[in-house]
Amino acid sequence: MSRLSPLEQREGETVVRVPLTRGLTLTIGQTVLALVGVLVLLGLPFLAGLVGLSWGRLFRGLLFGLAAVGLNLLLRHTELVSFGHAAFFGGGAYAVAVLAAHLEVSEGLLLLLAAVIVGTLLAAFIGYFVAGYVDIYFALLTLAFNAVIFATVFRSGFFNYNDGLAVRVGGDNPTLFGLGWTDLGYDLVLYYTTIVLMLVMLLLMWRLIHSPFGRALDAIGQDRTRARFIGIPVERYVWYSFTISGLYGAFAGGVYALQRLHVQPEPTLYVFVSGEILFMAILGGFTTLVGPLIGGVLLVYLLEATRFTFNYYHAPIGIILLAIVFFMPNGIMGSLPDILAGLRRRLSDPGRLGEDLRSIQSMVRRSLTRATTTVRILVFGVK
Amino acid sequence: MYPVIDSFAVHTLNGLWYGFILFMIASGLTIIFGVLGILNLAHGELYALGAFVVFSVVGYATGFVASPDDPVSAVIFGVVVLIAALVAAAILLPVGAFIEAVFVRPIYERDEVYQLLLTYALLLIFIDVMKFGWGTSPLDAGTYGGLNQIPTTEVVGVSYPSYNIIAMIVGVAVFAWLVWFFDQSKTGRIIRATAINRDMATAIGVSTDRTFTLVFAMGAFFAGFGGAMVSIGPQTAFLEMGLDPLVLSFVVIVVGGLGSLKGAFVGALLVGVISRWAIWLYPAVELAAPFAVMLLILLVKPEGLFGTWGEIE
Amino acid sequence: MLEARNLRKEFGELRATDDVSLKFGTTSGEMVFIVGPNGAGKTTLINLLTGLLEPDQGSVVVHEETGDGTTVEREITDVDPERRVNEGLVRSFQIVHVFEEMTVRENVRVAVLSRYDKLLNVRSRDDQHDEVEATVDDLLAQFRLEDSQHEVAETLPHGDRKLLDVAMSFGLDPEYLLLDEPTSGVATREKEYVIETIVEASEARGVTTVTIEHDMDLVKSYADRLVVLVEGRVFREGDPTLLDTDDELRRVLLGVTE
Repeated sequence: MSRLSPLEQREGETVVRVPLTRGLTLTIGQTVLALVGVLVLLGLPFLAGLVGLSWGRLFRGLLFGLAAVGLNLLLRHTELVSFGHAAFFGGGAYAVAVLAAHLEVSEGLLLLLAAVIVGTLLAAFIGYFVAGYVDIYFALLTLAFNAVIFATVFRSGFFNYNDGLAVRVGGDNPTLFGLGWTDLGYDLVLYYTTIVLMLVMLLLMWRLIHSPFGRALDAIGQDRTRARFIGIPVERYVWYSFTISGLYGAFAGGVYALQRLHVQPEPTLYVFVSGEILFMAILGGFTTLVGPLIGGVLLVYLLEATRFTFNYYHAPIGIILLAIVFFMPNGIMGSLPDILAGLRRRLSDPGRLGEDLRSIQSMVRRSLTRATTTVRILVFGVK
Repeated sequence: MYPVIDSFAVHTLNGLWYGFILFMIASGLTIIFGVLGILNLAHGELYALGAFVVFSVVGYATGFVASPDDPVSAVIFGVVVLIAALVAAAILLPVGAFIEAVFVRPIYERDEVYQLLLTYALLLIFIDVMKFGWGTSPLDAGTYGGLNQIPTTEVVGVSYPSYNIIAMIVGVAVFAWLVWFFDQSKTGRIIRATAINRDMATAIGVSTDRTFTLVFAMGAFFAGFGGAMVSIGPQTAFLEMGLDPLVLSFVVIVVGGLGSLKGAFVGALLVGVISRWAIWLYPAVELAAPFAVMLLILLVKPEGLFGTWGEIE
Repeated sequence: MLEARNLRKEFGELRATDDVSLKFGTTSGEMVFIVGPNGAGKTTLINLLTGLLEPDQGSVVVHEETGDGTTVEREITDVDPERRVNEGLVRSFQIVHVFEEMTVRENVRVAVLSRYDKLLNVRSRDDQHDEVEATVDDLLAQFRLEDSQHEVAETLPHGDRKLLDVAMSFGLDPEYLLLDEPTSGVATREKEYVIETIVEASEARGVTTVTIEHDMDLVKSYADRLVVLVEGRVFREGDPTLLDTDDELRRVLLGVTE
């Protein structure tokens, strides 16, 4: 009986066993949240329109977010800042485009498989070279590899330069599961296939980071020297995790190509896309598993939506990022517990709001004074 | 003169010219990294800002002199334009100081990923500030034609735009001044001491706050100066102009050694020349070539050609 | 038995270790203390033995007993540090190196997982290996860290951090344990406690320990054998009573260190 029930008692609390994870559990509250999340994902094609959001845009956000989940394996656990993950996203996307455009492969799932293989091999190749580096050197090396790949694609006729390649064979959408679909049917089948695979990938990532291997990656991130001297082959493990993290980006990029049906270098491979993937992870909360996913949806949506609505679409995102740096360093998901606790306190004691306002005021005043003093000294000298 | 040698010389000169511009950006980037430990992603935007500001300054300044139609007025014109570039760069001093004091100072102790995030946010904000100030279409200061009426210089048997020669001379002067500043001047030595040991510097009464502000402002100044030299010259000022030089400056400072001024100089010329040779010989690799060089250096000699100069961990 | 053969390491002009030949663990469970003035090459020697540094000359050799009473020797000079752990060669650093954001228990657990070769396992949770958890419990009990086992390492008092560091080393089931000043930074009254705990743990397991120590009273109380390094060379080797009887040795040590 107890083997069948998903409920279990652990340390005096009722927890829910999660399938496919061997022993990982959620509290009741977390389970409810997770179920709501899954339901929202499943209902998204129908719900998005109701609240005036673009489903396609949200879909793309999820894809970049998934790439950020992959990148977060490095960022959160081995504490390495990769500035080159667009290489794997774009690598996956271009694998799809090249196979469709040059070799006339028309089955979407086959194209997706190719994307995962190509992107992961690329990650394994680059990871082999960068695994021994840390800090800014790691960031700049990954950036350099990314830039070389972008520049090569951008300047090569095989990839059709800046115009990119269409993911169509003879003008038709790729088939999915061997069948041709209408445009809407294609989008829906692609979406639901992706969501299922994505949930599986999230569960696997969850399992990975709580496994002994995940703990070894934590050890590497927190003290590389000590990690070596407790017998962890640091560079080999970093290489493995780099490859796994690239796999997530490659899958996401492959789906992106199938969704857009056209792959260009700038939105998929450019170094700044790497930066965006990194910032998605932080925006959403890199101390959590699903934070990067949420960060991805949010940032992609903001980037795409503001571009068509406002003349000034960079600064608002810049200001959001500034706010993250100064007020919410753990990102949205990571700060959620604090925010909720704070809200609860303020609900019970509205007087705190006045205090908050005053502290914000004095902070702004302080930094402005500091700035004017500095500028005055620079312009007029110390006297 | 044989055409191949001819174009070899021209492309090399073009490369040197581009290298000097890169040096003005990369020098600031490398000093800021060496002393403050921050990789400033917004540095390319300071360069772009310089390019835009000079546009406003030049329009005002050239009103004072007649158009250059004889050697004397051409020289006067050239001097005015150069001063305009300096004025434009000077405007970036308080801008840099403001950014350091308000935004960068609170995050020195934070993880580098936040430092990157912060400067990236500044980059985005700068783009919109410039869009607000100067609009979205590229601007041409329009003085280049006038400048080029100054008789062309005969360099190694090749006629080559005088303006570019002036820009190179300015570049050498900037390098020489920076070397003098950090080796000989009192302030420069204080900055270096601070870079090597912050606590020690504080202990002997140096205000690290002020030192850091000065360094950031200096970096902004030279980036702005580089931008100004470019947009007065043959090129236009446009919103995205900061991105490529920023990324190439990474290449420069990695090749030269993070935090090394001399490294940045050699690296900049190397990257400039290599990218121009690539354009000439095999255009497809123009963008990739500098990065390939950087990869090679990082993999073979990670500390760069000239090692390090400031405090780097 | 662990052997250093003619080890030499130079840093520019400076010869940090010069032709050092030593044997550790000639009797099983031996406690060797390395003493010497600052800059004598003590840490360099440990770095060479554990592979953090490569020697310019000489070799590091392990002697292993086979079943039939003979010994075979294996050179490990070119073996990576992380692989030397498999040879039973474990070290600590002068500065505490623990995983700061993990709890005490997690710290010890990583080491024990490494010892049982389970780090590449991705199919189970890290805390669901019974033999690992049992070993972790033993170690926490022995180093009296049970009460703080769920605290994050960076919040521990310094003495406990030192003990945690050593507990992790024991979690690797060492044959030779090289400790670089395990009592540095520990308050004087706690030094004895730290060393005492280490001695107990190594005696219980028959571990050969090589300890760098500046406190001569501790050395006299606990050392089985003494090695004195001066200017990169072995200056004396022998019984700890040398500290009382050898006048030249006393001059060298006391003149510089006290």
